[in-house]
Amino acid sequence: MAEHFAEPVRQHLYSLNLGPQHPSTHGVLRILLTLDGEYIVEADPVIGYGHRGHEKMGENRTYLQFMPNTSRIDYLSGLLFNHGFCLAVEKLAGIEPPERARYIRVICAELNRISSHLLWFGTYLMDLGAFTPFLYCFDDRENILDILDRVSGSRLTYSYCRFGGVTRDIDDVFIEQTRAFVKRLRSRWKDYHNLVTKNVIFIHRTRDVGVIDKDLARRFGVTGPNLRAAGVPFDMRKVEPYEVYDRFDFQIPVGEKGDALDRYRVRLEEMEQSCRIIEQALDQLPDGPYRQERVRLKVKPPRGEVYFAFESARGLTAYYLVSDGSPYPYRCHVRVPSFGNLHCLTEVFRETLVADAISILGSIDIVVPEIDR
Amino acid sequence: MGYWKDIVVGGWSLVEGMKVTGRALFKPVVTVQYPRQRLELSPAYRGHIELKVFPETGTHGCIACGTCQRVCPSGVIKVQGVKQHARGGKVATHYVIDFTRCSLCGLCVESCPTQTLQFSTEYEMEGPSRWDGVVDLVTRMEESRS
Ligand code: SF4
Ligand code: SF4
Repeated sequence: MAEHFAEPVRQHLYSLNLGPQHPSTHGVLRILLTLDGEYIVEADPVIGYGHRGHEKMGENRTYLQFMPNTSRIDYLSGLLFNHGFCLAVEKLAGIEPPERARYIRVICAELNRISSHLLWFGTYLMDLGAFTPFLYCFDDRENILDILDRVSGSRLTYSYCRFGGVTRDIDDVFIEQTRAFVKRLRSRWKDYHNLVTKNVIFIHRTRDVGVIDKDLARRFGVTGPNLRAAGVPFDMRKVEPYEVYDRFDFQIPVGEKGDALDRYRVRLEEMEQSCRIIEQALDQLPDGPYRQERVRLKVKPPRGEVYFAFESARGLTAYYLVSDGSPYPYRCHVRVPSFGNLHCLTEVFRETLVADAISILGSIDIVVPEIDR
Repeated sequence: MGYWKDIVVGGWSLVEGMKVTGRALFKPVVTVQYPRQRLELSPAYRGHIELKVFPETGTHGCIACGTCQRVCPSGVIKVQGVKQHARGGKVATHYVIDFTRCSLCGLCVESCPTQTLQFSTEYEMEGPSRWDGVVDLVTRMEESRS
């Protein structure tokens, strides 16, 4: 193949638009492919179709009014984004939430992480042509949505966190349902492995496909499960523990090669680790108020700036807020993981087959509205 | 040898997968046949906002202070009120929401000083026009009482 690409004059090149409405682009992403037969010579992701101006909106509304926006930046892990924003503002304004609120947030955030990974599991396999696993994991995911719906009132865009607490307390039914869910999910691993992980077609479509190694990941700022699949145990929950993550015993799963199969394995293992965190948090859950006495409707942080990084379902996410002492942030920037994850594809796609490109694109788990924001 | 092993192991993996799907055939159905069957709504369910009727007064408690209007991130709420007596407080006469723009964040409900807002439990609110989302809550409350 190498000599094939070394041809000085490429006469048979042609362009193909992957997207913006392709079912496996998960949102509105367009990738301009230059093809030589079935092989990709160049890939050029075109982003920005879903731009809604969230950062600018953040500068035009109070800190609390930006809260509903955060869950719309990445709609699959809305609660994680709520949580991160809440922590950033709390750090900036010096608000201390009660212990119970911290635990509630961690439990809900981990549930949200599992739901995001489950959805990825389903849609990725759908990209590869398997429809059945999608139905199984949506069955499981529905349980999480029901649990979160009971406490937060929404199923996707939660707006559950508030500065200094959460909107509603959790009760015994929640705890019971969550424990039952963790048990159920554990009993499902066997089915998932039998159905997918051992499946010969799946293995052939993912092994050694789309290798993102350490070096490439570092150059493009790839984070999250994609980086961990390359063998780098980098997770904000361990590296810079925020909230109460330092009180739990959990591992950071890592892969070896950084191919699509490793990314798949890392994500499945991460769900198991999230289950462990949830169980420990439920065991340690303290009594007390679920939010501060006085509800903060208008926070006026002192002049200053904060950069707060946390681990969303897709990788290192961060809020950068600058305060000029008014109730409105002077600058509100969001660092999203999918941007780096997507742009390393310009390198990874080179010299792969178009069919593999779909597999790679699915395996890195991008959420395009998050990039466009 | 590796070639044949691949075929046998690969073939067996497909059989294993089919077993999982086969077992699922005999499991109970998990989907709900909406609209013939309905689920119980979550106690925290967020529909559009509505005015609470307090049994002591028989009416809502909105004093048209405009806190909810100011706190709403999406500009959903327009509230107007008049003073009914020379020395009394204001009472809302119009409370218009444009539900099509509501992001269901709950900030208005949390911020109301008289706690007269709550989420309704309506969830079938489709309509052919965007004006179907514009509701006057005071009128709505009066209609529901009569
Ligand atoms: S729920 Fe949020 S968006 Fe809707 S009316 Fe209330 S404050 Fe506005
Ligand atoms: S905050 Fe409450 S009392 Fe004030 S205008 Fe809104 S509904 Fe009426």
